[in-house]
Amino acid sequence: MTPRRQLHLGYNVLGDGMHPAAWRAPYTNPVGALDPDQWTHVARVAERGTLDAIFLADSPSLMGGAEGGPGLPFEPTVLLSHLAAVTERIGLVGTVSTSFDQPYNVARRFASLDHLSRGRAGWNVVTSTDASAAANFGSAAHGARDERYARAEEFVDVVNALWDTWDDDAIVADQAGGRFADGGRVRPIDHHGRHFDVAGPLNVPRTPQGRPVVLQAGGSPAGLELAARTADAVFAAQASLEDALAYTTDLRRRTVRHGRPADSIRVLPGLSFVLGGTEEEARRRNDELNEIAGEDRLGTLAWQLGIDVTELSWEAPLPDWLLDTTELSTAGSQGSREIVLNLARRDRSLTARQLLERVITWHRLVVGSPEQLADAIETWFVAGAVDGFNLMPDVNPSGLEAFVEHVVPILRRRGIFRHEYEGTTLRDHLGLARPTSARRVARTAAAA
Amino acid sequence: MSARPQASIGVNVLGVGCHSGAWRSGETDPAGLYDVGFYQEVGRIAERGTLDAIFLADSPGLFAPPTTEPPFMGLEPTVTLTAIAAATERIGVVGTLSTSFNEPYNVARRVASLDHVSGGRAGFNAVTTYSEAAAANFGDGPLPDHDHRYARADEFLDVVTALWDGWEDGALVGDVATGRYVDPDRLHAIDHAGEHFSVRGPLNVPRSPQGRPVLVQAGASEQGLRLAARHAEAVFTSQLTLHDGQRYYADLKARVAREGRDPASLKVMPGLTTVIGGTEAEAAARYARLEELAGGSSSLGQLAATLGLDPDELDLDAPVPEVADRGSFNTSHGFYRSFLGVARREGLTVRQVVARFQSGHRLVVGAPEQVADTIEEWLLNGAADGFNLMPDVFPSGLQTFVDHVVPILRERGIFRHEYTGSTLRDHLGLARPARSGRRSGAPWAAGDLRAA
Repeated sequence: MTPRRQLHLGYNVLGDGMHPAAWRAPYTNPVGALDPDQWTHVARVAERGTLDAIFLADSPSLMGGAEGGPGLPFEPTVLLSHLAAVTERIGLVGTVSTSFDQPYNVARRFASLDHLSRGRAGWNVVTSTDASAAANFGSAAHGARDERYARAEEFVDVVNALWDTWDDDAIVADQAGGRFADGGRVRPIDHHGRHFDVAGPLNVPRTPQGRPVVLQAGGSPAGLELAARTADAVFAAQASLEDALAYTTDLRRRTVRHGRPADSIRVLPGLSFVLGGTEEEARRRNDELNEIAGEDRLGTLAWQLGIDVTELSWEAPLPDWLLDTTELSTAGSQGSREIVLNLARRDRSLTARQLLERVITWHRLVVGSPEQLADAIETWFVAGAVDGFNLMPDVNPSGLEAFVEHVVPILRRRGIFRHEYEGTTLRDHLGLARPTSARRVARTAAAA
Repeated sequence: MSARPQASIGVNVLGVGCHSGAWRSGETDPAGLYDVGFYQEVGRIAERGTLDAIFLADSPGLFAPPTTEPPFMGLEPTVTLTAIAAATERIGVVGTLSTSFNEPYNVARRVASLDHVSGGRAGFNAVTTYSEAAAANFGDGPLPDHDHRYARADEFLDVVTALWDGWEDGALVGDVATGRYVDPDRLHAIDHAGEHFSVRGPLNVPRSPQGRPVLVQAGASEQGLRLAARHAEAVFTSQLTLHDGQRYYADLKARVAREGRDPASLKVMPGLTTVIGGTEAEAAARYARLEELAGGSSSLGQLAATLGLDPDELDLDAPVPEVADRGSFNTSHGFYRSFLGVARREGLTVRQVVARFQSGHRLVVGAPEQVADTIEEWLLNGAADGFNLMPDVFPSGLQTFVDHVVPILRERGIFRHEYTGSTLRDHLGLARPARSGRRSGAPWAAGDLRAA
């Protein structure tokens, strides 16, 4: 009997949880997102559940969020280094924008994290759409989407090249002979591009994983192209099985077009959930959270759609002009907007309230019992629409604890999720091969 | 009896040891500078000795092919210090970051994050970076000149400080009942529009446990001194003799006073390279062995680079050459001045300078008492508030210091027996800063940004 294909599960922490009211829930610490001990706790719970990775979203700004909640305060590479020190196996993925930092700095921080965590680091590449972030970096208006992605393409190429500047066997450490490294195996990149000039080499040797894992989250065509060419995994955002299947088919086709095997990229959409012992309990918990959040949720939806909140009403469908528009939004996150519009277009009678019952914080929402959540996961997985999910519990730590206690055992019983970690690196967990250095590939080709 | 002054002691974790021969000594993992276990062990030993802080130097580039010895730095400091903080409980963690090759918002945020996750133990050593190798990783232009780098650094530190002050104490409310997470009247944008930066703020990290992380500075040029007097709470300097130390100390403290600050609000901490043996003779033998392992060449290379010369241009047995136009050197002025001052006064040859001033800092090769004597002498004679230790080899050289020098300092009443506080400010005897009055923007309204 061949072993069943295995599911991959990340944990998108989002501070106190994905629900807009998470920090106000009666069973949570309102300032838990700022408490290092809470972070340590949730990381250890996630590791107990043998999840593939902890995932940190990010924006270098307050995102208009401080009055309504904690947002994403801590810088991801710093926080992940803390989490690496208090765990042993779980992967550590951080979001860093290509819009507001330099490739040398980013390559170096993730390479450092990969060394310090002994092979557990991943970088989620995003281009920033957040106007409040741009204002912290001297640009009143950030670039148009094409420009942002052109910069991101070059940024990722430079980072990958820097990660390859030391060969795997560059360090000799011959104490008797007085030779530390083989100088011929540490080389500059001398990159001169449209956005960056970077000499290299990186001042960090090739990392335990060869290169840290690269994730990508964009849902626009430019984002898909970047993912297909460079990503090891995508943090996608689909709210229906049809959309997920279409997305994955499209992405795999593009991946092959870039000369990569179709299965060299893991598709992991977000999955937000509200769990209860029974479906009824889950609904009660969901209602309670929604009640606390009140009008905030409508504001969040408007923000996501890129429209004014006055255009929305709880009991009315989305405005026709928005559903009929063929224009892409000029800024903002294309993926997060489309996920809602696609649902609404399929059933134009859905009210704002009903939409918010199916999708929240830009991702698929499941409200139900452990069995129902396991079913929701397995259905998409078996259909081949996904390789797994990036889990977004409603409230931390209780939502995560419930998942690990009650859903993970079901997935294990069904034979689609590991009982224990089989490897030590994030690449091991994701079933990704250790990449050969591009320089070595080039040398081998030249020698052939 | 009035209390004796207390020494502040940091440890500068430079590679696997500050001596170029350290990696071949058999006392360390030669590739330890890329291993988390190495850093955490060093952190624990330093904490056992109740030292004030772990200090990481940095430059975002590789100076030279690491063929004959490992580099002295590699992993990014904020990420590395976080790993050290997680393995320790009290010791401070100070990281060097370049103001030339970073954005102030990112730096303010990373260091504030470190301050939060470490429970108030973070410091930021601001340097302008004088390495062409680093500059080439951030554009195709030449390294910006000294004046320009320092003008940028000055504005950079204004922005970082203003961002750290954007959240007043008490701005974070977290009121579950009303749904008020922050008090908007106590949260401020900075609306900074300057020559080098335009930063709206506020920072997305609430005011950190120390109020502000500790600001450290290392420059010794005129602009560096001005910057230190304006912003720094500790300076990592490089005076080689008591006399030079006293002059520097008096000059900098006077400048601090002229900025309207309490001179005690800035701690002067010269580097102190140590090679310690049970006796002076043992220490000398240890030093000789390390020199032999280093081949003598790398210290020479360092001196040559500091002088802006090629190593081949230096005659080992001739006096250190006069360099006519110092202003033309786009290098580290502090090291340069220390070397030349001493070398000229004492008529030292290049070979003598290389032997005496390992790593560009004061070198003591001796018994534990002799190391303690130097520390005490400088502390009591107005030359230092403490030192940034640079042991020859990690962890062995640090362990010897902790086991044999620290007890002497304690006996003499000039170093703590245990930590009396929990933050780096507590250790250094620095007050928690009040919110700076500078550049406080209007209360920040989220609505503005949503509409933007």
